[in-house]
Amino acid sequence: MTVMLIVRQALSGIVRDRGVLLLVVIFAAMVAVSAFLGWSATNTVNAIYGQAVDWLTAQGAVVPPNPMHQTPPLASLRNLPVYISFLGAFAAIVIGQELVEAERRAGVLPLIGSRPVPHGRVAVARMLALLIATAFLITVAGAVAILALLSLPLQMQVADWGALAWALLLGWTYMSAFGLLALGFAARLQGTAAGLLAATVVWLAITFVLPALTGNVNPTAAINPVSALALVPDTPVFHWLSRLLGPVSLSEAFGWLEARTMGYLPEGLAPRAPLPLLGLWLAFVGSAAFAFHANKTLDPNGGCDA
Amino acid sequence: MPDTLSPMAQMATIGLRDAREALRDRFVLVAIAALTLAALVSFVTGAIALNGDAATYAQAKALLLKLGKDASVIAAPELYPLKLLRGTIEQIEIMGAVIALVAGYRAAAAERGNQALALILTRPLHHWQYLAAKLAGGVGLAAVLLAVVFTVTGMLLPWVSGVALSAGDALRLVIAWGAGVLYLAGIYALGFGLSLWARSPAAGLITAFALWLMVVLVAPQIGDTMDPDNQVAGGIYAQLSVPKAEQDRIKAGFALYETIRGGIEQASVTKHYERLTFAVLGIKDSYTGKPLGPILTEKRGDLLFLLFFTLGIGGVVLLRPINPDRLTKET
Repeated sequence: MTVMLIVRQALSGIVRDRGVLLLVVIFAAMVAVSAFLGWSATNTVNAIYGQAVDWLTAQGAVVPPNPMHQTPPLASLRNLPVYISFLGAFAAIVIGQELVEAERRAGVLPLIGSRPVPHGRVAVARMLALLIATAFLITVAGAVAILALLSLPLQMQVADWGALAWALLLGWTYMSAFGLLALGFAARLQGTAAGLLAATVVWLAITFVLPALTGNVNPTAAINPVSALALVPDTPVFHWLSRLLGPVSLSEAFGWLEARTMGYLPEGLAPRAPLPLLGLWLAFVGSAAFAFHANKTLDPNGGCDA
Repeated sequence: MPDTLSPMAQMATIGLRDAREALRDRFVLVAIAALTLAALVSFVTGAIALNGDAATYAQAKALLLKLGKDASVIAAPELYPLKLLRGTIEQIEIMGAVIALVAGYRAAAAERGNQALALILTRPLHHWQYLAAKLAGGVGLAAVLLAVVFTVTGMLLPWVSGVALSAGDALRLVIAWGAGVLYLAGIYALGFGLSLWARSPAAGLITAFALWLMVVLVAPQIGDTMDPDNQVAGGIYAQLSVPKAEQDRIKAGFALYETIRGGIEQASVTKHYERLTFAVLGIKDSYTGKPLGPILTEKRGDLLFLLFFTLGIGGVVLLRPINPDRLTKET
């Protein structure tokens, strides 16, 4: 039994899963919608600015510069990171859960355990299957994003395409971190859907609770690409909380990195923690280590639900 | 379950069994603790931010007075205690909905996982009785869950804000609680129904989560993102220093855009729950300090949507018969 054989088997199971398919379809559709939303909203703001300028000029008032002026074309896709952070991350969590749960439900874990294959190799194969599945998801997102950018009246430069590639790589890292976490939880927790629920709880806390603690960002604002990029309120408590929790506030680190890459980061806005990219990669490596250990030590008898 | 039990007693037996199990494995306690904690985090951080604004105002006012200038040129931060519940309501919208979905899944999986449901259906028990007992359990869970959240935050409000709550404020909290129970009961019914009908409860849970993403996160997010005032930090009109009357005139020119944006938002039950509670609690500025009667009259459309959503899903769950063949195929 080779690693690639396990990977192929795992991926074929995921492809047949209707739940995963549903999430992939929703994800792809929303990436396409995100491009139109950004473009449409930018056009509307520009039109509003034009009317406001007419009025301000008639009043003899000072005309401020257009806040959306010279917005880079990639900023039209500013909803993409938001959809990656909840649709993509959740799809990755479901895939991570299914990679173990499907084998446990089918009762093949004891069979796999009886083969002369090191457990570590099986764990690596499952992790590889997850990373390939999330790479497929982000490739779909990238293809849809490219189609959307080409079909909208935007002037993309070579550097913009490079920035898009980097933004997608960051998205893949973020999604995969949650997928690996779910893979680890699914191996560690034997109850039906327990891994899914545990990873979802972590994801909810990172997405909706930590931003409130570090910067008073409420849940609705946390999923708005502009509102989420808020300054830390100028009080000692928030400065202290931001310093303490910033390094683990993964969704904020991801949002800040994506905003900087895609060109819609408000000028002068610092990240919650000094090295957001390092935080993202550490989260990925930590989740991978957890997934590896949990799957390597997975009970081959399959636990109580086998 | 003896055959001589009345229908109500049979339903109570099923409901009590679920309640006992939820208490035994601490699901209820964990759910209450998680939502209360999330709600308190948003509530307390909102209060700290407001105190920061008040301190900044006091410093600026003192400076102006020291310089012999008129302090009325800077606006004092408004302090309406119920406004501090904004984050709490938003946590109920999102985290509360997840808890309700999972509770619905558990209610369906409890008897499906070990084929006990197939056995129950061989008893002289109408399908609707079994389903009604499960739905009543969901309503009960939502009522207890939100009662704890609103009681804790309601008790902390006067302490955090320094302003005592009036009887009118208490009534507004009760209305927000009732709307929340309706909202979470509808989501619970959705999670329960999908987990009961799907090939396996876990597949139903994943489908329910996909719907949750669309209804609770994506639809309101699209409406929120399309709002021109949310495209620019601080708001486009505030940045351009355009007065309210002129804002309204400009907005009138984008009626179609606003109609589409509003339509997308209104497709989401979450947004109706938010609009109703934000108005009742005075969280939205245009409703702050206004009497309750006119607010309820204006927001009856949102209340009706919530009612139809919950009763509609509950009705479908209740009326759709359980397919025993489907249950035996569960893997």
